[in-house]
Amino acid sequence: MSEVDVLIVGAGPAGLASAIRLRRRLAEARKEASVVVIDKAPRLGYHNLSGAVFEADCLDELCPGWRADPDPFVKNMVPVERDELVYLTRSKMQPIPASLVPRHLRHQGDHAISINRLVKWLGGVAQQAGAEVQLGFAAGEVLQEGGGVRGVRLVDLGRNTRGRKQANFLAGERIEARVTILADGSRGVLSRQVTERHGGNRNSQVYSVGIKQLIKLPSQADFGAGRVIHTIGYPCRRDVFGGGFLYDMGKGEVAVGLILGLDWRYTDLNPQREMELFKAHPFVAGLLEGGEVVATGVKTVPEGGYYALPKLAVDGALLAGDAAGFVNMRKIKGIHYAIRSGIAAADTVFDALARNDFSESSLKGYRQALEPGVLRPMRSARNYRQCFKLGLYLGAPLSTIQHLLPFGLDAEPDHRSTRKRSRLNRSPDGGLDKATFVSLSGAAHREDEPSHIIIRDPAVCLECKDEYGNPCVQLCPGEVYRLREGELVLSPSNCMHDGSCAVKCPYQNIDWTPPEGGEGPRYRKM
Amino acid sequence: MNCIVLVKQVPDLTDLRPDAWDTEKGTLRRGVLDSVLNPLDLHALTLAAQVRRDPGRIIALSMGPPQAEEMLRDCIARCADEAVLLCDVHFAGADTCATARALGQGIRRLVREFALGDDYVILAGMQSADGDTAQVPPQVADELGIEQIAYAEAVEWRESLVVHRIGPHGKETVTPLVTPVLITASSSEAPVYRSFHRARMSLGRTVRRWTAGDLDLTPEQLGLKGSRTQVVRIFSPSESHDAECRLLDEPSKLAEEVTAAWRSGRRRKAAEAQAPYQLDGREPAHTGEIWVFAEHEAGALHPVSLELLGAARGLAAPLGVKVGAVLPGHQVEPLAAQLTAHGADSVYLLAHPLLEEFRPVPYKTALARAILERRPQIVLFGATPLGRELAPRVAYETGSGLTADCTRLEIGDFTREKVTQTGVLLQTRPALGGNIMATIVTKNSVTQMATVRPAVMKALPPDPERRGGVVPLDPGVTEGHIRTRVVARQSLPEGANLGDAEIVVSGGRGMGSKEAFDRFLRPLAGALEQALGGRSEIGASRPAVEEGFIGREHQVGQTGQTIQPRLYVAVAISGAIQHLSGMQNADLVVAINKDPHAPIFRHADFGIVGEYESVLPALVEGLQHVENKS
Repeated sequence: MSEVDVLIVGAGPAGLASAIRLRRRLAEARKEASVVVIDKAPRLGYHNLSGAVFEADCLDELCPGWRADPDPFVKNMVPVERDELVYLTRSKMQPIPASLVPRHLRHQGDHAISINRLVKWLGGVAQQAGAEVQLGFAAGEVLQEGGGVRGVRLVDLGRNTRGRKQANFLAGERIEARVTILADGSRGVLSRQVTERHGGNRNSQVYSVGIKQLIKLPSQADFGAGRVIHTIGYPCRRDVFGGGFLYDMGKGEVAVGLILGLDWRYTDLNPQREMELFKAHPFVAGLLEGGEVVATGVKTVPEGGYYALPKLAVDGALLAGDAAGFVNMRKIKGIHYAIRSGIAAADTVFDALARNDFSESSLKGYRQALEPGVLRPMRSARNYRQCFKLGLYLGAPLSTIQHLLPFGLDAEPDHRSTRKRSRLNRSPDGGLDKATFVSLSGAAHREDEPSHIIIRDPAVCLECKDEYGNPCVQLCPGEVYRLREGELVLSPSNCMHDGSCAVKCPYQNIDWTPPEGGEGPRYRKM
Repeated sequence: MNCIVLVKQVPDLTDLRPDAWDTEKGTLRRGVLDSVLNPLDLHALTLAAQVRRDPGRIIALSMGPPQAEEMLRDCIARCADEAVLLCDVHFAGADTCATARALGQGIRRLVREFALGDDYVILAGMQSADGDTAQVPPQVADELGIEQIAYAEAVEWRESLVVHRIGPHGKETVTPLVTPVLITASSSEAPVYRSFHRARMSLGRTVRRWTAGDLDLTPEQLGLKGSRTQVVRIFSPSESHDAECRLLDEPSKLAEEVTAAWRSGRRRKAAEAQAPYQLDGREPAHTGEIWVFAEHEAGALHPVSLELLGAARGLAAPLGVKVGAVLPGHQVEPLAAQLTAHGADSVYLLAHPLLEEFRPVPYKTALARAILERRPQIVLFGATPLGRELAPRVAYETGSGLTADCTRLEIGDFTREKVTQTGVLLQTRPALGGNIMATIVTKNSVTQMATVRPAVMKALPPDPERRGGVVPLDPGVTEGHIRTRVVARQSLPEGANLGDAEIVVSGGRGMGSKEAFDRFLRPLAGALEQALGGRSEIGASRPAVEEGFIGREHQVGQTGQTIQPRLYVAVAISGAIQHLSGMQNADLVVAINKDPHAPIFRHADFGIVGEYESVLPALVEGLQHVENKS
């Protein structure tokens, strides 16, 4: 058992921002408290994935003077110079004139960044500020005692495939904390345990899945310095909420991505395949000609917005970043909210440390701290995502006036949107296959550990096969789920920890649990 | 009992993605790869946790750049109590000799500072993932004048410490008669994990840093200056393969293609001969004979020794020198005639009852004595498990440079700083996880030494008419050289005979389990045997062996066997060069891997990208179908 003052679960932008802020405030006040950040990733940033066009202003508040830092992250930021929004039909491209682009979809002044580099940099800053960053430790459950959170328990280590203890078995360690900041990301296992218990959300959280590839262009290619392109339309049908992006990352590399709302109705939608269709569109293909895919990744984005926010502060714990659902739905951006929420969480915890009181009422200042930078803009976009339930052509115009609606629009969980026998019937051929996709993500797990993906009732999968044709098989870009002789078999070692399978399973029959620490994808410059 | 564990920070070669490889220079972009604890050193740490007894401590010792401190903290987070880093610019560029010297001196200081007396064991991984020579641990043992127990898989305490190891003849249980002793780990049951509370504790620990000055070593003894080998050329492994890999979608199609290719009797082209080297009257840099270490077991010579005699004759011809075989053992005189027939001009006999079975210290004592007396210019050893244990120590004691695991040897000239060395041994081997080839020369040495992979060189046909002399030498061994006792021996359960098999079906780490080997590989081997009519055998990559999926006698490449079957099927094997060098002379290569980027496909004739669980059963079915049709 270990004891710490402040435990932060998740070394992403939110968790690290809170560690930096808290340690700096403690130092200013000449106070001492241990601030420990844990993450299941083996290295800083390896489990983070984002586009990302980043609004960097939030760093001014967190790390004044950061622009002069010689770190590769700061040096490699690419200022947005050409900002385009285009509409794609199956074979054509129609630019949307700048005058028609809504303000929230303009990116002048932003920077194209690698979130992995951002996190690596933030981690170093946090360590310099005196925070302990412990990587490769996966938390399995929240210690909930007396209605409050008292820390976490790490996952067991050293069981074999059948769950038996090996010679090196290490029972999940208890980490007791006076207060815990849960910044464990989109669909974080621990934050969900707290939310399941404490609720607080009006709507169910809904998600989209983001597929990303980093493409190295041939040396003679000229994508355009500082060019960012967002696309709507193809390959998404009008009833699939989604869009694509292409960002110049500098050094001849382009980040390409496709984000799809997981509330699609098709049973056979394969996001990795959609991504290849996107890349094969004449406009996109022309931009990427001769390029080589050097890295891949996938993650979910919590898109429920304001009405899906759970209780943000409970006795002994706060939720920050994607774990809470802090995403600007109109922009599909969350890093700046993550950082701002980290700052707000740190300020709240700082005050609570002074009072030595971590009860829910002592932490209620968190909401006020979040109000200007996170909650207010989210409230103004409260019905945005729900509008697109009506499809692109109705939803898009409605979304521009959604904030005027006098009522909140409901949202149902994504898995309920899947319709039996509703199929896209894409051709299965062409482009990158799933096996390559996984290998380029660097995902790896010990082959002989128990499956970290738990099928609650295998009989339900058989039923699902008849009713829906096991959508997980198509959905998972890691080919974790495969049909062999009509039977669903799992390759958990391919898992990229996105969790979209658990979101979309029509029967909610998939329980995604954290595997041993240090495993999973290895994102370096995504 | 205390433990000193030698650890090394190495690039993580398990995560080689396209951008990690600089195709133009043929080298790895080091910055792209993570630095990790050498995988076999983790096994050594795990064994240390079992060897240590209260109030003993586990001390992790490394030599490396300041960044290696992170890895030492990783060791503390697992089980180490103390950590020491030898860190000095003068250590940079060290070969195995210079490394062993520094580590040996570091150990001496550790023993003093921690007052360990003789109550300690040194543990190390058998080899590092990047250097991959397996030379440093035996040379450290030689520097300290202690015995080594290699290829350890487990340790336990009975009345005394016993070590379970894989010996040349099977599993052995060995007990050290004296401590200190050095144990090298080739695996362990289950590597010890980092714990969170230890990881926290490690942050508060000071990792001691010692410089060359702290170890009373001068720069001349260290780093590049103190080294006896030098890399002269690095290049990409040449595409020994002429055909492009044909990727097939259907296992049934693969079954047809393989059967057709087998029946057409495809054979790979032999490597092209090179123009012979000529001294042209110039003075060679080295003088003396070329020797081959004659390895034998159970009264028979190891084939590699005969191959080396063939190679030695080739090297000796342009230099105009004689070839000697050095034969240690007890009652081994009858083997001399065979050595002569295969090319030895002289057989140097080191006969002594204490040499009846192989132990590193007595053997190296005898060999080193003979070498220092006769001063051959080259000594070649087979890169067998025994050779890899013995050669580093002989080289260290005789002050000779040694290159491990060579796949090519030639006489050539080498110019550095305008000084040309004439007629030296150019030693080529795979390096850096097998992604590059390196040509190495020996320097600051009277004798040039190399271990050579079995089945790479060609033995000459025996000539019973050849005449040679037998020269008995005094081995100079005494009872005091015997420092270990074998308490039990168990022959390996099944005698894998990969060398003679015409069909080899190999599995890699991607197979995931021992059960998968049995369930998927054996039926395929059986089906191939049925359909093609050749003898089949199961092989494995080193990682699969290390994972314990199958015994080491099945290992292909690296420390395992080099084979030339008619058909080689690689299943879930990525195809690191160590493995490729063990099988690339196969006539027909088939690869099955879920990763289309796996290098194995670049060396295969046919391939299927897919999960072995679905491909293999379908392939078996396809073969049965083909067989029924014919």
